[in-house]
Amino acid sequence: MRFADPSQYIMDDPEKGVFRVHRDVYTDQELFEMELKNIFEGTWVYLCHDSQVLNPFDFYCTRIGIRSVIVSRDKNGDLHAFYNTCRHRGATLCQTETGNTKYHVCNYHGWAYDAAGKNIDIKDKDKGCYTDAFDEQDHNLIPLPRFDSYHGLIFASLNPDVPTLEEHLGEAKILLDLVAEQSPNGMEVVPGRSDYTYSANWKMQMDNGMDPYHLTSTHTTFMKVVQRRQDGESDNEQVTSPDFRDRFTMAAGMYTFKNGHSMIWNDHPKPETMPFWGMIEDVRNQVGDEKAKWMARSRNITIFPNLQFNDSTSLVLRTFIPHAPNLTEMKVYSFAPIDEPDDLRTIRVRQHEDFFNSSGMATPDDTICYSDCQEGYNAFPDDYLQSFERGMGNLIFGPDEEAQKLGFVPETSLLGTFLDQGETSYHGPYREWARLMRAGHNKEQPLAGE
Amino acid sequence: MSDRELLAQGEDILSREALYIDMRRWEEWIALYHEDAIFWAPAWRNDEELTENVKREISLFYFESRAGIEDRVWRIETKKAPALWPLARTTHVIANPIFETPPSETEMTIHSAWTCHTYSLRDRSQHAFFGRYEHDFKKFDGAWRITRKKVILMNDYIPAVIDVFCV
Repeated sequence: MRFADPSQYIMDDPEKGVFRVHRDVYTDQELFEMELKNIFEGTWVYLCHDSQVLNPFDFYCTRIGIRSVIVSRDKNGDLHAFYNTCRHRGATLCQTETGNTKYHVCNYHGWAYDAAGKNIDIKDKDKGCYTDAFDEQDHNLIPLPRFDSYHGLIFASLNPDVPTLEEHLGEAKILLDLVAEQSPNGMEVVPGRSDYTYSANWKMQMDNGMDPYHLTSTHTTFMKVVQRRQDGESDNEQVTSPDFRDRFTMAAGMYTFKNGHSMIWNDHPKPETMPFWGMIEDVRNQVGDEKAKWMARSRNITIFPNLQFNDSTSLVLRTFIPHAPNLTEMKVYSFAPIDEPDDLRTIRVRQHEDFFNSSGMATPDDTICYSDCQEGYNAFPDDYLQSFERGMGNLIFGPDEEAQKLGFVPETSLLGTFLDQGETSYHGPYREWARLMRAGHNKEQPLAGE
Repeated sequence: MSDRELLAQGEDILSREALYIDMRRWEEWIALYHEDAIFWAPAWRNDEELTENVKREISLFYFESRAGIEDRVWRIETKKAPALWPLARTTHVIANPIFETPPSETEMTIHSAWTCHTYSLRDRSQHAFFGRYEHDFKKFDGAWRITRKKVILMNDYIPAVIDVFCV
């Protein structure tokens, strides 16, 4: 490691207009291992949505960093989360991503657990000549230390010493409210997965999800395809995204929140093309004018460290799993109102496929740029990046007028038009990164004077 | 015409599709398809099942006309899309063509197995996508055209880039 204290990788001095992140944070193996420990195993991380474990005995298997975990719904409908490992010999209990089973029976020696994680059978126990000492052990599946959900979004923390999920989300809860309250009947993950990997650091996706500055360079061909459709140069009539250029002069801004969350937004030139608009009257009656106005805006949300929503041409839920400093796994889903009418749902899935799928026309351009960055960091590692300071001259500490109207309190705000394309949205997540990395570091080797 | 002769005619088009994609003969590739041809690659719903309802569920690709492929080809040809330039080289191999339903002189569906090897010039990495095809053919003015192509992608854990020329 280049610096003894990991927070030194971030130069954070808003008074002087300075915010810089060192290239090593994307490449260094030791920092990556510290991230697994202090971030992915150190704070609340997103696992899955309620609709993916809807019925009794449904389970969903995923990873927190490198730890395989199971979310399981028991016979009473209560959710549980365990490490995916048998107490006996340690084999994984779930080998499929999803399923429905009353009992998790280990393939290896047949120990069995119910959907609440309780050990219900140690195979041939009566012949086992076990001692009292064996019986005194807890044989149940090992629960994740903290487990909770907000609006059906299921989170866990492998670190027991964290605030409640409610406190962790804090003022950023409103960001999730604006997603989850788009339907009176709740929201669901749309069937059909798009899983992919990219050869770069997990934070490249985190950053891209709050980056308005890349649209007009990375996605020029996507923007042009949309224009060609509108101008009749393409015969494709099945996708109705509005011309992105119409956004350029519209109101836009960004917020950062305590504990690393952030949002960027901009007014939508044609909200009537959003599938959500088809139910706008019902939604407005339910949530009021101000929230409905915010729902009709394009919003990209980051719930630190691994949950993102992008609500623009349609609503996408993204989560990411770090495998190595230069390898990340993505899980991407369309997110939609339950009971959405067919015509609106069809608009939604076509727009999702067009833009957000790994097989779409925007996402692969992003992911390839991440790997180009990763290669560029190897080319010259000894520097701080210059990609965090756009907009700092206009930075507002605390809420701007738009936040005040809805009544939430971000740490920082930036307000202008789309082409301002600020970069202050990154500050919150990287401040949290530095805080958690420093806290983990200090736990092991306190710095002088601390 | 015998089933064997019809199958040979369909196979010829399958092999041409592979040739045209691999050699970047996009116009000739697109011309194999009828204007209203459906191009569909369902996504996986879970480890065992594919999505089925294109109105309510996600597909990897669902184009209800040939224009969907044309948009993708246009994007490739601009050489301005980071994911598509430099464009990965590909080789498609199509095998085991078979009828599951009896063909006629004017309509037939051929099931086949495919693999597409891709070679990324950016990082010299190689990958093989593979799966099953269903091609629907109809005869227009005495010539077979593809009216529907369904692609099942067996390995849907995608290394960053996949597009219509990789399946």
